[in-house]
Amino acid sequence: MNLRAWFLLPARVTALLLIAAPLAVMLVYSFLTRGDYGGVEQPFTVENYQRLADPLYLGILWRSIWLSAAATAICALLGFPLALYIARAGNRKSLLLQLVLLPFWTSFLVRTYAWLFILRDTGLVNTALLKMHLIGAPLPLLYNEGAVLLGLVYSFLPFFVLPVYATLERLDPSLPEAAADLGAHPAAILRRIILPLAAPGIGAGCVLVFVPCLGSWLTSDLLGGGKTVMLGNLVQNQFTTARDWPFGAAASMVLMLISAAVLLLLRRSPVLPAGGGAA
Amino acid sequence: MIRQRAAAIYAALVLAFLHLPLLILVVFSFNSGRFTVWEGFSLHWYQTALADPALAEALLNSVAIALAAAALSTVIGTFAAWGLWRRAAPALSGSLYLSLVTPEIVTGIALLALFQGVFRFLHLPLGMHTVILAHVAFSIAYVTIVVSARLRHYDRSLEEAAMDLGATEWRAFLRVTLPAIAPAVAAAALLALVVSFDDYVITSMVAGVDSETLPMVIYAMARRGVSPVVNAVSAIVVVVFGTLIVVSQRLQEKT
Amino acid sequence: MRRRTFLLSATSALTACTGSSRPRLNVYNWSAYIDPATVTRFEHERGVRIRYGVYESNEEMLARVLTGNSGWDIVFPTHSRLEPMARNGLIAELDHSRLTLLNNLDARFQKPEWDPPLRWGVPYMWNSTGIAWNRAQGEEPVSWSALWNPQLRGRLTMLDDVEDALGACLLKIGLPFHSTDERELRAARREGIEQKKLLRAYINAEVRDQLVAGDVLAAQLWSTTTAQAIHAAPVSPIAFSYPREGYPLYCDCAVILRESRRTALAHEFLDFLLTPEIAAANARVGDTATANAAGRALLPNDTVLYPPEETYRRGFWPRALPPAAQRRRDRIWTEIKAA
Repeated sequence: MNLRAWFLLPARVTALLLIAAPLAVMLVYSFLTRGDYGGVEQPFTVENYQRLADPLYLGILWRSIWLSAAATAICALLGFPLALYIARAGNRKSLLLQLVLLPFWTSFLVRTYAWLFILRDTGLVNTALLKMHLIGAPLPLLYNEGAVLLGLVYSFLPFFVLPVYATLERLDPSLPEAAADLGAHPAAILRRIILPLAAPGIGAGCVLVFVPCLGSWLTSDLLGGGKTVMLGNLVQNQFTTARDWPFGAAASMVLMLISAAVLLLLRRSPVLPAGGGAA
Repeated sequence: MIRQRAAAIYAALVLAFLHLPLLILVVFSFNSGRFTVWEGFSLHWYQTALADPALAEALLNSVAIALAAAALSTVIGTFAAWGLWRRAAPALSGSLYLSLVTPEIVTGIALLALFQGVFRFLHLPLGMHTVILAHVAFSIAYVTIVVSARLRHYDRSLEEAAMDLGATEWRAFLRVTLPAIAPAVAAAALLALVVSFDDYVITSMVAGVDSETLPMVIYAMARRGVSPVVNAVSAIVVVVFGTLIVVSQRLQEKT
Repeated sequence: MRRRTFLLSATSALTACTGSSRPRLNVYNWSAYIDPATVTRFEHERGVRIRYGVYESNEEMLARVLTGNSGWDIVFPTHSRLEPMARNGLIAELDHSRLTLLNNLDARFQKPEWDPPLRWGVPYMWNSTGIAWNRAQGEEPVSWSALWNPQLRGRLTMLDDVEDALGACLLKIGLPFHSTDERELRAARREGIEQKKLLRAYINAEVRDQLVAGDVLAAQLWSTTTAQAIHAAPVSPIAFSYPREGYPLYCDCAVILRESRRTALAHEFLDFLLTPEIAAANARVGDTATANAAGRALLPNDTVLYPPEETYRRGFWPRALPPAAQRRRDRIWTEIKAA
C-alpha cells in the first residue's frame, strides 16, 4: 500500500463506521416496527413512510420548509450587502470577517439563550419600552414563529456571509470600474455584473443556511414555547417522548432527502463552485 | 461619498445585531438582581457558578472530551486532506460532505442507534468514549476542509524536490509539507476543539453516566428558567471561545 | 510525534480514571430532588463514592435505561412507569430484608395501588398537577376550564406533557383522564386546539419565573414547582388550586436497575433515604413533598404540597396505558401542538 492509501485509511475507517454505518442503521430502522416501550422489532413495513404522508406531518414539513426558506431569504437580504462591504474594505477585511465569525463560534446554545433573555416579558426589550412609556403592557415577543425566525436568522447569518464574501473577494475590481467608466448606473452594475458573478457564493450561502435551519430543533424548542413544531422537533420527539424509533427514523430520512435534494439542485446548476470548497 | 458612508453604517448595524445579544448577556451577568432591572454590580452569580460542583465536573468533562476528540480528528483529518490533495477519493469526500450536511439531530440519533445496537453485544455502556467517537465523527470534515484549503495553495514541487534529494515520501511529508502547513493544522485543531466543546445535540444523545458536558448543564439550567448563573457561565464561555477563535484566525493568516 | 504524545496522554488518562478504590454507586434522579449534604453524608458514613446525575423527564431517563447497559444503579421513575419497566425486565426486585425503615413511609404509600407488595420501587417524593394562579387575575380557579378563560389570553400556559395536557382537556369536558376512545380523544383535541389560541406557551418548570414576575396569570403546573414559586418571596401573590373535576397525582419511586452490580449498596442507599431526617432534608431543599411520614413530621405544614384529606380524595393515580392506546394519544397531542 502506498503512503496515500495509509493516510486515507483512518479517515475511511471512521467514515465507514461512524458516518455511513449509523445512517444505514437508521435506514433499516425506518422500515421496522416500534417496540412496545422503545426500540425496534420485526416485521418490516413501509407503514412509517405512509404515515408521513398524513396531512398533519405534511403540515409540519411545510412549516419547516417555509421557516427555513424565510430565514434563508432574510439572511440573504441582510448578508449580501455586508459581504459586499467587507470584500471592498481593503486592509480591514480580515478584522471585519473575524467580527462576523466571532459570535458564531461562541456556543450555539448560549446565543439562542441570549434571545430568551432579551425577548421575555421581563426581558430587555420590554423593560426598555415600558420604561420609555412606549407601551402599556409587555409585548409577547417570545414563544411564537417570529421569535424562532429571529433565532434562526441570528444563528446562521454568518454562514451566508462567508461564502458570498469568498466569491466577491476574488472578483476583479476592474470589471465594475470599467462599467462605471462607460457610464453605467450603480444599480445596473450591481444587477448585471456583481450579482451574476457572486451567484456561486450566494448559492452556497443559501444551502449553508437552509439545510441546518431545516434540521434545527433547539431554536424552536427554546424560543417557540412548544407551539412551533418543526421537522427537527418531530424527529427528536419520536426518539424520546413518543418512543417510536422507526417513525422517527423515517422522518429523519425524509429530512435528509430534502437536504440532499437542495444540494444536488444547486450543484447541477452552475451555482456552486466545483469541489464544494465552501466554508 | 454618501454611498460609502451608508454602506459603512449598514455594516455597523448588522455587526451590532450579531454582537449585541452576547454583550447584553455578559453585562447582565454582573447584575446583582435576577431580572433586567439593573440593581447594582455584583460578582455573586460568578461565585455561584464557580462553586457549583456539577458545573465544575461538566467543565472538566467538556475539556477532556474536546482535547481527545480534537487530537484524534486533527490527525485523521490532516492525513485525509493530504491524501485527497494527491488524488481525489470521491467516496471519502462524499461521506465527509454527508456528515456536514446531515442535521445534528439525525447524526446524534443515528450514532445512538449504532452504539446501542453494537454495545448490546459487547456489553459496553455509553460514556466518555462514545461521546469522543461521536465528536470525532463530525469534526473530521471541518479539519479536512481547513487543511485542504491550505494545501490547495501549496506547491507540490517542494515535496518532489525533497524526494529527489533522497527522502522517502513519508519523510518529505513530515519534514517539508507538515511544517509548511502547520499553522493551518493548528487552526483546524482549534476549530475541532471549539466545535466539540460547543456541541449539545449530538452529545446529549450519546452521553453516559460519567459524561455530562457543559452545554448539557447549560441547557438543563435554561430549561428550568432564565437564571443569571447561566449568564455568568455563558459570559465565561464567550470570552474563552472568543480568544481561542481569534488566535485560530491569526494562525490561519500566517500561512 | 504528535501521534505518540497523544497516545501516551490517552493511556495515562485512562489508567487514572479506572484507578479508583472505593465502591461507586451511580444514582440518576430528577433535578433538585435531593440535598447534596445527604449524598456527602452517605459517602462519608459508608466510605463509598456516589456519582449523581439529574434528568428533567421520565423519557430522558428511560431513553438511557432501556438499553439495559446505561451504567446507572438507581433511578427514580414516576409510578406509572414502574409496571412497564418491570415487564421489560429492567428492575431488580426489592429485598425487603435489607430495607428496615419501610415503616417510615406514609400509610398511603405502604401498599400503593401501583405496587401493593412494594416489589419494584420505594416511594420517594410525590406531587400533583393543578392550577397555579396569580391572585391578581381574580378569584380562585376551581375548575380546569379556568385555563380556557378568554380574558386571560396570552397569560395562560399548559404543561408540555401529553399525559397532563391532554388529560386536562379530557377532564374539562367531563371525560375520563385515561380515555382511549377515539371519539372522546377527538373531542379533547378540539378543546386543545381551541385553547392553543389563548395560550402563551407549552412549558414546564420555566414558567415559575414568569408566574413570579406576573407575566403569566394562570398555569397548569405541578404542586412542587408552585410551592417553589410561592416561597420565592416572603409575601407571594401566587396560589395553587386543585381542580374540582379531579387531578392526577404522581409518585416518583426509587428503583434499583437489574443491570446494577451493586444491589447490596443500592439497598443501603434506599434505606438511608428512608431515614426521617434525611427524607426531611431532601424535601426541604427542593420544596417537594416526601412520601415519608416520619420525615414529614419534621417539616412545616403546607397545604400546597400536602393537600388536606377531602382534596386528596379528588385526586387519582394515573396508570400506564397499553402501547396502542398510548400511540393514539401521542398522535392527538402532536396534532394539537402542530395546529
